[in-house]
Amino acid sequence: MPEISRYAVVEKGAELADDVRVGPFAYVGPKVTIGPGCIIENNVSITGKTELGPKNHVFPMAVIGAPDPQSPSAVGQVVLGEANDIREQVTIYAGQDEPTRIGRDNLIMIGCQIGPSAQVGDHGIFANCTHINAGAVIEDYVRTSAFPVIESGVRVGAYTFVAGYACIDRSAPPFAMVQGFPYRVRGVNTHNLQRCGFTDEDIARLKRVFRELFDGSGSTPNAEVLQRLAAAREGNAHVRRLLESLRAAGSDS
Amino acid sequence: MSSRVDVISEIAPTARIARDVRVGPFCIIGPHVTIGPGTVLSRRVTVVGHTSIGSQNHIEEGCVLGASPQDLKYAGQPTVLIIGHRNRFGRGVTAHIGTELGGFITRIGSDNVILDGCHIAHDCYIDDKTFLGRYVMLAGHIRIQTGSVMEDFAGAHHFVTIGRYARVGARTPVRRDVPPFTYFYSEDYGWTAPSVRGIHDDGIRAAKLRRYEERELRQALADLFDDEAALQTKIEQIITMGAEGEVAALCEFCQNSLKGVFGRQRELYRGKAPPEAAETPITQQWLDPRRRST
Repeated sequence: MPEISRYAVVEKGAELADDVRVGPFAYVGPKVTIGPGCIIENNVSITGKTELGPKNHVFPMAVIGAPDPQSPSAVGQVVLGEANDIREQVTIYAGQDEPTRIGRDNLIMIGCQIGPSAQVGDHGIFANCTHINAGAVIEDYVRTSAFPVIESGVRVGAYTFVAGYACIDRSAPPFAMVQGFPYRVRGVNTHNLQRCGFTDEDIARLKRVFRELFDGSGSTPNAEVLQRLAAAREGNAHVRRLLESLRAAGSDS
Repeated sequence: MSSRVDVISEIAPTARIARDVRVGPFCIIGPHVTIGPGTVLSRRVTVVGHTSIGSQNHIEEGCVLGASPQDLKYAGQPTVLIIGHRNRFGRGVTAHIGTELGGFITRIGSDNVILDGCHIAHDCYIDDKTFLGRYVMLAGHIRIQTGSVMEDFAGAHHFVTIGRYARVGARTPVRRDVPPFTYFYSEDYGWTAPSVRGIHDDGIRAAKLRRYEERELRQALADLFDDEAALQTKIEQIITMGAEGEVAALCEFCQNSLKGVFGRQRELYRGKAPPEAAETPITQQWLDPRRRST
């Protein structure tokens, strides 16, 4: 039997696995599914059509499956993977047409907001008050510092570090460090790449390519260099991935 | 006045709560919490972990004090959060307990004003009479010295020290130490590194210095931060001319920051307990490894 506080409200129809803990003053809506090993602490609201995978930990005052402010009466959907930490006062909005998806092993720190239909990958660390707007796509191993805004519909590439107070208004490349308002590419996120087991050779190659593509003054790569590198049949898989994502971002805008 | 605890709030029977504490509805108080006399918890306040709160604190709606740190190395160690007296916590303030590598303690002093949505992370040491504006975000291991002011939406990097009576401007990402009595600011959200932009006059007034001390301090501040590239030589000049009191403290602070990593003197305590941890009295029972945090 799940361990539910006498002060919690779990609506009829909610499916809770056997070892789920629900703290006092928490609310679990009727269409919610909570996987094994989840801890729902006090004053948490989980509403909408929300699925939590196993071992998620939701801290006080968080709201998961909040209705989209633009259509507050419709019931949206959130799909949360495995072993995420959702810290205090985080709000995850529910998507209407496409569910809001969050992968696994993410640490979503205090006061973050994840908009409706946003897609968040795995192993991300989102520092306090990261605002991910509707429909944004965050790839794996992304790290952010406090207060960045990721605008709706843009994509943040894998392993990228978003500096504090940055505004990501166009798609950000993978492996990068981005900063500023509007954002500019500062360089390669060497520290994160080393932690994630990239070889020194890969990192050096990425650095060389970044230095050619970005002059530090903007977020758009040098078009000539991009064309030349794309034509040159790059051997390094990571560089190929970077070039592909830059080309895709260029054709979007 | 006897303790007034609302019936719809969950208080662990082992929590030690003084007689005249007032607890509003929907509050949670964990089993290892101590709350001193005259403290008011308004509504929906969560106090968990090994947290001790002194007397006459006022804690507004939605605060979460003593939750586990946002540190991936933390694995349930019984670390502590210690809060002094007469602090005011605005709505939705969060403060976390310490970590084992950072010296076990997060400490908030007395007479602080902490406005809505602020976050005080693990192993921070906040001294007395500070003012944190709305949504000030502090990363781990930060020291905020007496009387300093952080304006709304300011953020600070790990291991930063904010000097006495310094002022950090709104929306400034602080990445290195802020010297005492200065105004530290960046107008473009940190794209150019924030720097010392002037003297914090209100801070000098609040520090109640003697007139000649104030004159010497203002002279030293003007000399030191006129050209920060030559800071080291200017500090040496001031010291050889015979600095004392506040000026000597200012020079020492700047010198320590220069010795640190990226201008952060507390980086030298990375992975070990800082000296403040030894100064802070905590009851031995908290560090008993058999007791787990909630």
